[in-house]
Amino acid sequence: MGSEHNVIIAENLRKYYGQTKAVDGISLTVSQGEVFGMLGPNGAGKSTTIEMIEGLRTADSGSVAILGYKLPREAKAIKERIGIQLQTTSLYPRLTVTEILDLFHKFYPGRKTLTTDELIRIVDLEEKKDTRSKQLSGGQKQRLSVALALVNDPEIVFLDEPTTGMDPQARRQLWDTVLGLKQQGKTILLTTHYMEEAEQLCDRVAIVDHGHIIEIGSPAELVQRYFNEIAISFQGSGDVDGYQTIPGVSHAAAEDGTITLYSNDVPRTMAALLDREPAGGGTLRNLNIHNATLEDVFLKLTGRALRD
Amino acid sequence: MSTILSLYRANMKEFIRDRAAMFWTLAFPILFIILFGAIFSGGGSVNYTVGLVNEDNGPVGAQLESTFKSLKVFTVKTGAESDELSNLRQGRRDMVIVIPAGLSDAVQAGHTATVQMYNDPSKNQTDAGVEQSIVQQVLSEFNAAHIQAVPPLALNTISVTARNLRSIDFLMPGILAMSLMQLGLFATATPLVQLRQEGVLRRLGATPLPRWQLLIGQILFRLTIGFVQAALIVGLSVAAFNVQIQGNMLALAGLVLLGALTFVAIGYLIAAIARSVESASGISSAVNFPMMFLSGIFFPLAFLPAFLAPIVRAMPLTYLADAVRQVSIGSVPDFPMWIDLAVLAGWAIACTLIATRLFKWE
Repeated sequence: MGSEHNVIIAENLRKYYGQTKAVDGISLTVSQGEVFGMLGPNGAGKSTTIEMIEGLRTADSGSVAILGYKLPREAKAIKERIGIQLQTTSLYPRLTVTEILDLFHKFYPGRKTLTTDELIRIVDLEEKKDTRSKQLSGGQKQRLSVALALVNDPEIVFLDEPTTGMDPQARRQLWDTVLGLKQQGKTILLTTHYMEEAEQLCDRVAIVDHGHIIEIGSPAELVQRYFNEIAISFQGSGDVDGYQTIPGVSHAAAEDGTITLYSNDVPRTMAALLDREPAGGGTLRNLNIHNATLEDVFLKLTGRALRD
Repeated sequence: MSTILSLYRANMKEFIRDRAAMFWTLAFPILFIILFGAIFSGGGSVNYTVGLVNEDNGPVGAQLESTFKSLKVFTVKTGAESDELSNLRQGRRDMVIVIPAGLSDAVQAGHTATVQMYNDPSKNQTDAGVEQSIVQQVLSEFNAAHIQAVPPLALNTISVTARNLRSIDFLMPGILAMSLMQLGLFATATPLVQLRQEGVLRRLGATPLPRWQLLIGQILFRLTIGFVQAALIVGLSVAAFNVQIQGNMLALAGLVLLGALTFVAIGYLIAAIARSVESASGISSAVNFPMMFLSGIFFPLAFLPAFLAPIVRAMPLTYLADAVRQVSIGSVPDFPMWIDLAVLAGWAIACTLIATRLFKWE
């Protein structure tokens, strides 16, 4: 992949707030047409990073080039060409969805914009188009803020936690929207703390924790890099050392009342596990056997779960 | 231009759909006018009982005495100083004017002579303000005439004071000035901080929209509200309470513009300093309160204790109220007009400069 295709190049970004190193040396490149995700728990530094790349926050050090334009000098040229969805957007509360979108069109004079009707259709807000923004539900507000990010038919779309606060159905709808944008050849940089979202949408994922990128790769690559095993999880807590000795188990982890065993040989591990059970069983609650996921990768890399 | 117009329209729609904002900026000043109009327009025939003590034996004292007696609003009783002052204390006089002995000699010798006026601090201060301005008007007309032509004075040229200056006439310009101040404080500072706190400014900052366009849209919107307020207040005062506008409407409009700009600039400065909506409305109230009562809105500056003078003279509302009063009802100036204008412009420029430096968009 030639560097001319790298539409986002961020190098060595740092942002410290007093003693807190919110972002501590993050570099990433995103190529044209790629959906790139930053995956990490709340407070990992994802939002600060994406906002520094968008030019909304000034980095303490590091450099950003977007579509060949450099921050901060060419911020205006960049803003013309990118679309930004912010984590929390509240807008003129007494204007309707249509009025707000119409207003935003005016901010991109001389640029081809999507019509308000198109935008409303893309984010599926037809029924709410004449509703005042303060009367929208959390998920509807999120969809409006995604629509605002698309007004200027941007080449790059930035989505910061786009599905937070949405119910599962709305989340899937938004995923479809994002995949539709990808099909149109748009480049997308998104942050999320939903492992499934990253797996569904992203060509490449950066796992972020404590202001660092720990790993970068496609979801499948990352899982393969860390796991040949199948994950067996069940309700339980306490010392995991006792489980390490179970046949087939290469690694065990306990987090949030769930014990996860990573096994190379599921039948043997299950048999041994059931043998340990008292007669009648019943303690292997919420037993779940699945392929390892990004969630498992994150757990293995950080010892913590992604979810809050 | 069409971007600014769209921002202007967005602000306008927000405002029109916000019942609380509508009430405080439009209905509140109207209620003030109606309330004070009903109380103080007093059936149109106000009359003050004046105790006149003429200790001067010369022509000037006589001229003044006859002028005061000719005023329709004054019922003049003459007597000795001690008697009249005791009448005043017992409420039988609204005020006492003392023309000192030797006044004519002093005037003819080219010295400044002082006419003493007593009024009752316990009675309605707005009335007292009206009385005071009438007396002052008589004296300044006299002075004006005196400079032009050497005595004998033709005091019968004083026709202006026959006009019935009522409390509502005095109050209307003040209420107009006050509402422009509150436009700057409550309809500018607090909403701006709210926009910042809720991240609206941040979201707008993520678009290529230049900030100056955003600002112009907001300021034009607020100026419009200022003019609507002024039109309602002046219109209602004229229509319902027969307040007569003496001055040039264009000059009045110019003052409304300058006043609104000054206080909107102050609003931006408060928004630049305040960290939260709560602190913005706190600071606004803290600014509002002293200005409302110490700027000569409800009673004349002369009634304020001398130690407050530095504060009074620092406050922009003092000058706006004075200028609006001069233009709209032709009142006696507290300050020359050019000082009023200069102080207001100074406040506007200083606040704009500081606000530009301090204002944070997120």
